[in-house]
Amino acid sequence: MVSEEEIIKVAKLMKIDLVDHVEHVNRIKKMLEYFDILDQIDLSSEDITSQEKMLSELRKDEFIPNNKKLIKSLKNFREHYVRAPKMN
Amino acid sequence: MNLKTSILDYIDDVKSGSYTVEEFISATIQRIKNIDGDIHAYLSLNDSAIADARIIDKKIAAGEQVGTCYGFPISIKDNICITGTKTTCASKILENFVAPYTATVVNRLQNEDAVITGKTNLDEFAMGLTTEFSAYGPTKNPWNLKYVPGGSSGGSAASVAADECLASLGSDTGGSVRNPASFCSVVGLKPTYGLISRYGLISYANSIEQIGPMTKTVKDCGFLLNIIAGQDSNDDTTIDNKQSDYLKNIEDGIDEKRVGIIKEMTTDGLSPEVSAATKDAIQDFEKLGANCEEISLPTIPYTVAAYYTITSTEAGSNLARYDNIRYGYDLDSEGYEYNSYISKARAQFGPEVTRRIILGGFVPSAGHAGKYFLKALKVKSKLISEVNNAFEKFDFLISPTAPVQPFQFGEKIDDPVTLMLLDYNTVTANLTGKPAISVPYRIVGGLPIGMQIMGNNMNERSLLQAAYALETKTELPEVPL
Repeated sequence: MVSEEEIIKVAKLMKIDLVDHVEHVNRIKKMLEYFDILDQIDLSSEDITSQEKMLSELRKDEFIPNNKKLIKSLKNFREHYVRAPKMN
Repeated sequence: MNLKTSILDYIDDVKSGSYTVEEFISATIQRIKNIDGDIHAYLSLNDSAIADARIIDKKIAAGEQVGTCYGFPISIKDNICITGTKTTCASKILENFVAPYTATVVNRLQNEDAVITGKTNLDEFAMGLTTEFSAYGPTKNPWNLKYVPGGSSGGSAASVAADECLASLGSDTGGSVRNPASFCSVVGLKPTYGLISRYGLISYANSIEQIGPMTKTVKDCGFLLNIIAGQDSNDDTTIDNKQSDYLKNIEDGIDEKRVGIIKEMTTDGLSPEVSAATKDAIQDFEKLGANCEEISLPTIPYTVAAYYTITSTEAGSNLARYDNIRYGYDLDSEGYEYNSYISKARAQFGPEVTRRIILGGFVPSAGHAGKYFLKALKVKSKLISEVNNAFEKFDFLISPTAPVQPFQFGEKIDDPVTLMLLDYNTVTANLTGKPAISVPYRIVGGLPIGMQIMGNNMNERSLLQAAYALETKTELPEVPL
């Protein structure tokens, strides 16, 4: 059983302040309890598979000039740098 | 002029001079203005739609080459970017975000002279099944305004069903095209993973989501697919479709085809109405000459948990960019410490997105990944093997698209597990990458029921043949608007 403290800790790590934390925590707990169904399936002989692509199939790794519109859409930037608040 | 027309009939009418593109687009915009206050399918309209129509009319009049769309009106889900227009994802955090580039699918449509009517409503960041999680209020189901339209592409489905356009593009991560298609009685296709470029689709769960067409008829779906499908150098997950013509031989039928009825999706959990409709649909397939047989896919009961585990994990990563430094709303950073600033910005996320991000941090984290995320990936692998084996024996796998009909607003929103289980019949196609289509099949008690047909990878042509065959067995009433 996942505890309320664990969920609040993860929320903090994800940089989310839980205002109405009771409802959020209850819903997340219900979802995680439902995910416990994954304990009931035998996966002992299963591997995790993934789709792979050859490097030659990918687009060229080449420099594409910066789209200046993207920089202009930022609220805080100076020259080529994005400005962020200070870290303590 | 009939706004209930299909794309293909519209094109014939414009070519024959029955009406101009401007006349049709003007009538469509007027219809939106008349009824969308009640439906709320659109979040924003294209102010230049009529001007765009005039340009196409001029080309027709001058005998110049005209794109294959001939100016038919299409709406676009508001998580797909169009240069210079707002793309909000139905979220407050992107309330004023203006896209700096255009999605490949929209480029392809515009190159073929489609006219964009506007951007449609969705559950915030496409996380939901009812549009009740839109930050701008829900979309209403055109069949009954007290009922949900399905989601997350509920605005797209409602805009097509209410004749506010002839087609729409939605996105489908776990059923977000097919579920609202079923709830609003329109055709909705989730293509093979990689068939349609995701360049310009705002990411939620990259490994399984796809853009898909929503139309009034199966043939229109094939027509749209001809335009938007195929490889794109801006999306390395796209596949070369050899320029397939999805309308070719669409009327060939399904005589002697082998149809698997998915046991886990057609027995428990269906409403009596959906269950009865499913039995009738199976009979229709048999009347069409198909050989139907039940098949069990034992991994299916675990797919919803696996789906939500994988998508939450990817969402937790994808939505990290909304920190108000790279993307976000206008909030001055002066006076804030870094972490508290980002937390302040993320308070703009709605409740469902907030929960998915937290889940997305939890299920792959050290100490929990083995119980949740890694198991979910193994369920996905097991399911792919199971479904691939099924396609050794069958040409198509069928089920109802959703286990229930549309329900009233507020009816299920308080129970997260009930909401998740609405995806029960749709997530398999996403987890396996297979194409699946929802075909309008029946109206019971004034509310729609759709049937889902799943095909094997890149077999959209035969899938559309099966969908068209089923469509010929239906005779549905018009939407009461």
